[in-house]
Amino acid sequence: MWTDSGVNPASARTGDTFIDYSALRALVVEDYPGMRNALRLSLTNLGITRVQLAANAAEALFQVKQKPYDFILCDFNLGDGRDGQQLLEELRHSHLISLETVFMMVTAESYYEKVVATAELAPDDYMIKPFSPEVLRRRLESILLRKRAFSDVYRHFHAHELSAAVASCDTLIQDKPKYVVDALRFKGELLVTLGRPEEAEALYQQVIAMRAIPWARLGLARALHLQAKDEAAEAVLRDVMEQAPEMVAAYDLLSDVCLARQDTKAAQEALEQGVAISARTVRRQQKLGEIAHTNGDLDTARSAFANVLEKGLHSVFVTPSDFGNLCRVQLEQGDVQGAAATLKKNKTTLQASPEGQLVMAVTQGMVQIRNGNLKDAAKAVEEAMALRAGGTCGDAGLLLDMAGACMASGRHDEADGIVAEVARNAHDSEALLARARKLYDDAGRSEAGAAVLAVATADVRKLNNEGVVLAHRGDFRTAVDKLLRACAEAPHNPRIMMNAVWVMLKFIDQAGMDEQMIEIARRHLDEAERQAPGHARIAGLRLHLKNVESKFGIQRKAPA
Amino acid sequence: MKFNGTDQYAALIHELKNDLGLLSLTLDGIPQQREREHDATVDAARLLCQSVVDRLQQSLLIYKAVDQPIRPAIDAWSPQDAVHEMRDRAAALARGRIRVEAVLALDVPEIWFFDRDLVEMALINAIHNSLAHARSTLSIEASMTEGCLALTVRDDSAGYPQHILAGGAANAAFQATGTGLGLQFSRLIAQSHDNQGRRGELRLHNDQGAVFCLLLP
Repeated sequence: MWTDSGVNPASARTGDTFIDYSALRALVVEDYPGMRNALRLSLTNLGITRVQLAANAAEALFQVKQKPYDFILCDFNLGDGRDGQQLLEELRHSHLISLETVFMMVTAESYYEKVVATAELAPDDYMIKPFSPEVLRRRLESILLRKRAFSDVYRHFHAHELSAAVASCDTLIQDKPKYVVDALRFKGELLVTLGRPEEAEALYQQVIAMRAIPWARLGLARALHLQAKDEAAEAVLRDVMEQAPEMVAAYDLLSDVCLARQDTKAAQEALEQGVAISARTVRRQQKLGEIAHTNGDLDTARSAFANVLEKGLHSVFVTPSDFGNLCRVQLEQGDVQGAAATLKKNKTTLQASPEGQLVMAVTQGMVQIRNGNLKDAAKAVEEAMALRAGGTCGDAGLLLDMAGACMASGRHDEADGIVAEVARNAHDSEALLARARKLYDDAGRSEAGAAVLAVATADVRKLNNEGVVLAHRGDFRTAVDKLLRACAEAPHNPRIMMNAVWVMLKFIDQAGMDEQMIEIARRHLDEAERQAPGHARIAGLRLHLKNVESKFGIQRKAPA
Repeated sequence: MKFNGTDQYAALIHELKNDLGLLSLTLDGIPQQREREHDATVDAARLLCQSVVDRLQQSLLIYKAVDQPIRPAIDAWSPQDAVHEMRDRAAALARGRIRVEAVLALDVPEIWFFDRDLVEMALINAIHNSLAHARSTLSIEASMTEGCLALTVRDDSAGYPQHILAGGAANAAFQATGTGLGLQFSRLIAQSHDNQGRRGELRLHNDQGAVFCLLLP
């Protein structure tokens, strides 16, 4: 036993716990001037002399873009505009701060832990207001020392050397008992990203054996889901929901599990439960809107999409597609005025980007068509076509809206071209193809539509099928050529991407390592996952990729 | 406009707590004048202000715990960090008037599983009591007892009065005086910690002063 009567300023310590506060660059984000200055004073008393101040999220973003910071102390409530959590999400999502940067949230809410549990990203720590300078110093020191211990992990992570990052986590787990749980947590996420769900499963079981903390059980459920052990995953999730109902991520994952077994009704229910606990998260509302729309539940879809825009007013996760989604549901409900009002209200936001302008033009066209103003509709369609010709992209739903508007304005060839593009990229998405068919049915051109869809999907389907047949015959080289051509034709088609990845891996299995090809395979797999997150085949392909990598010693790159 | 009673109360308490936080920072800014009467008065004001802030924090938690049991958010924390943080907070409140020690037993693991905010709230409450009654020394300790992490606040005061110790043993409700309420609150926090059926405990006894001990499974 040892006794310590304190009065030992951190700056006076030596060895690996020494922290040079005078070298730290700090940013204080706080809307209330009195508090802002008090916080600055607290930092100065710690020896942090390089302190910048920001009164709101916009100022903070501006400052962070000017120069890097080591420490950001941010109030959760920032008045109008983004709150502290949204600022954190934007900083991390846009890679404006690295893992080394300490982000601490200051909050008046004693239950901020619950806010953290419902958030997509957690800060490094949070301080409940009012707090004493001693607490701030201790917490900051503790995080800085932890980040120092994790420096190898972070370095590999930033360099995309994930296997090496795993190895560095293992070193920490072995040598630094204080950080064992943090290192296990980080390693678990790395294993999932690397497509090594069996190892992740074992790791989370190891944490649960220490204590069944909610994040570990959630990780276990995710690892099980990635191995298509969905029944076991669901059992774990139901248990988490009972013990820690505030852990909203459990509902998100449950909805993925339900989608995997094609139960869209249950997926919607899970998300609705999640939204009932925390309506704040934009992505959950987006997903709920999409699934409710697929389920034909327009009321739920509408309220979810409306919430996306309302709650996500300042969120980095809101895109122009979200405005298009809301307007589409409004029009499907026959609420033309509502759609027009949505456009009018968000005009400034939409006009700020070409993608937004495309949404605006397409939706405007649809509104005018419904109102019978064909002249104005034609003008809007003209504008949309010009934006497209300039390379502006839209999601599949918006493109089909655009095709519909083209047809209504008599621009059939252009409509066919757009539908063909959507169909190539979604040649096996029944939901999208059905929507496309309905467009033609409504326009009285069912036969023409069938032909467009048949031709568009035929090319891709043909290349795809030829590739698959060749692969089954063992001619992986030619199969790779065919499928990469199919990928070029349909650059956003996850199914084709996954097939291409599969034949590339088979080819390497057979012919030996081809560094360039495995890199292409990796990129295609990432793209497929972006297009179809949580698709049942992704996990298997990740595993295959991993096996190929270890078979040919890619992991040798990692330091011993 | 119609008031929604309880939520308005909570919002009001929040606001009061924040104002007091600022007041507390302002008091911290008053320099010592090496003049006994002046400094003692300012110190007393600071201590009282902090104590009100901490009390309000508790009352918010109790308000939220009315409809549902306290649900701790358990994660892995360093007992050593927690003890040092509490020591620093206590030392800042004591301003040299009382010696504050941190004591760590060698068998305390590097990490333990508990709800840091709740546990620190209980400890700071005990620290306020001890600062008000201790003669010269206060120690904040971590050790292992019966397989649990024991976080202890120990002082050299006259000790807990008999009725409080008796109430503690009988697990009966305390009188709703300041100390009693705080202890009851700490007991709820300890008991909300549960590990495979083993529940946390608050143990109070006298040993050359008052000993406040949270046992966390």
